[in-house]
Amino acid sequence: MKKLVAYAIIIVALLTGFGIPAAAQGEDLETNLKAAFLYNFTKYIDWQLGPDDAQFVIGVVGMSEVERALEQIARTSTVNGRRIVVRHIDRLEEIGGCQLLFIARDRRAGLREILSKVNRGEIAVAEENGAAREGAGFNFVLAGEKLKFEANMRALSSSGLKVSSQLLKLAIIVKK
Amino acid sequence: MQVFTSALVLGIFATFYIITEIQNYKNRKAKDVQSIAAVVAQNSASSLQFQDNQAAQATLAELHAVSPDVVYSAILDQDHHVFASVGRAGSDTALFREYRNSVGAFFSAGTLIVVRTISNNTDKIGSIYLQVRLNELARMRSYLFRLAMVLSGIAVLAAFLISFVLQTYISSRLLALVRTMRRVGDTGDYTLTLADEGTDEISVLISVFNSLLLQIRENERRKDEFIGVASHELKTPLTNVKGYLEILRSMEERNPQRQLVDRAFLNAGKLEKLIEDLLDVTKIQTGQMQLNLTEFDFDELVSETIASAQMLSKDRPIVFEAKAARQVRADRQRIEQVLANLLSNAVKYSTDGKPIVVTAVATGGDIIVEVADQGEGVPAGEENAIFGRFYRAKGVSQHISGFGLGLYICRDIIQRHRGRIWVRNREDGASFLFQLPIAGPDFKQQHSSTKSSM
Repeated sequence: MKKLVAYAIIIVALLTGFGIPAAAQGEDLETNLKAAFLYNFTKYIDWQLGPDDAQFVIGVVGMSEVERALEQIARTSTVNGRRIVVRHIDRLEEIGGCQLLFIARDRRAGLREILSKVNRGEIAVAEENGAAREGAGFNFVLAGEKLKFEANMRALSSSGLKVSSQLLKLAIIVKK
Repeated sequence: MQVFTSALVLGIFATFYIITEIQNYKNRKAKDVQSIAAVVAQNSASSLQFQDNQAAQATLAELHAVSPDVVYSAILDQDHHVFASVGRAGSDTALFREYRNSVGAFFSAGTLIVVRTISNNTDKIGSIYLQVRLNELARMRSYLFRLAMVLSGIAVLAAFLISFVLQTYISSRLLALVRTMRRVGDTGDYTLTLADEGTDEISVLISVFNSLLLQIRENERRKDEFIGVASHELKTPLTNVKGYLEILRSMEERNPQRQLVDRAFLNAGKLEKLIEDLLDVTKIQTGQMQLNLTEFDFDELVSETIASAQMLSKDRPIVFEAKAARQVRADRQRIEQVLANLLSNAVKYSTDGKPIVVTAVATGGDIIVEVADQGEGVPAGEENAIFGRFYRAKGVSQHISGFGLGLYICRDIIQRHRGRIWVRNREDGASFLFQLPIAGPDFKQQHSSTKSSM
């Protein structure tokens, strides 16, 4: 418990670094952490954005507080100089066009179906057990009380994007 | 003085050297550790961002494995809280407390502290704190110090030796020069040149001195030569004058003009005497004076000489008291010259009417003759100087003529006889004395002193 409190402080510090107001303190720590991690992921991936890409799109499939947290981040932060747009996705057809796709636990569609819609140049991040093995690029897991993430090398390489080793060394590597 | 200066200069340089060496070492070390910190910071950025303490810890552990002189390392988050750390020194040590919030490289008590910001392109997300123990520094310091001490000690010693040798070298040569100068001054011997085999300023000084002496010798020689030549030149026409006067004298036997001739003759005689004195001096100077030794009755000589002198000074009686009653081996003519000179001086410098007393006494192997007058005496302090060349008593009335050579020649003659001549001032006048060995100057005998008059 103490550790989580400590991490809460850290997160607030991190988030205040990004301009998130202190009001966010009331939200779920885990949520905020996941949102922060998602944003940080973008820093360690070479997105190969072209001049046509005016913004960076983070898609959220399903219902999750993470979306709101992401919107907070999106207000003040950028990715490679591009504005962040958080798109809520209800139907499978809408999945394409998001560089980063967050698959929330609370959804109707199946994981495999969603993952099959992920194109090249896009990475999916899930938050349920076994998601990495199923083919998600990253998957949030809880190790004890700490939030960690798995990484599926095959899925990441099939995205065609280069992921920094600095990020990968922190991940739990999952092979399919 | 030189040694002190050298030591001071050396001390300054040594200190400077040590300081710069240590400074350089510190700078190099700081740079190295900064580089390390930079790499570690780079590697631990993501750990911080994803709050992976273990990963950060692992990075630090690697660092410690590679650089054993890192005693303590810590990664701090944005709020300067310890995110990960490795090392004995806990976060409660003074150094950590002091420097954890700073950024840069700091030296404190043999330890180097490097704190570097961990940033993620634009934002600061934490910092890395490294504490390195500088073992080498202490060793280096003491080594450098000892080295500097030893080198300085050697250098000071060397400076001391060099300055000592140099001083001796310079001083000894200068002192030799001074000694020679003094000797030349005292003895008037201008042949005392000083040998020197150097090429520096002192050698220049010495060679100038030598050439100066040479010049003086040359001048002396020329002077003596001139005196000799002049005397000869003067003598020739004088002989003629005397010749003609002699003829006139024999012709003017009973005429009143006879007086005039007599006076002229007298003056010619005086002139002749003066010239002869000069010639004698020249002979003495050029070493041509020689003694013609014979045996003769001393008293007889004295009486004869007194008689001649008396003829020229009617108003001063000359008395011969105390006879030696000896046969003496000497140069009769020269001794007569001495006596005549002393008598003539006595007559010149004594007052009217007062008698001049001459005594001759034989004691041991010598005869001591005294010519005592009653007059002004010799000025105090001049007892030695009067025997010098060209000496004339100061403050004496003008009418007393002469070159001042008489006593100089007397002394030379007496000294050649291995005798002594001196003057003694009395209350009412002066006494001139000389001492002659009866057996002659060539008699092998122990003499206490053959120095000139005292």
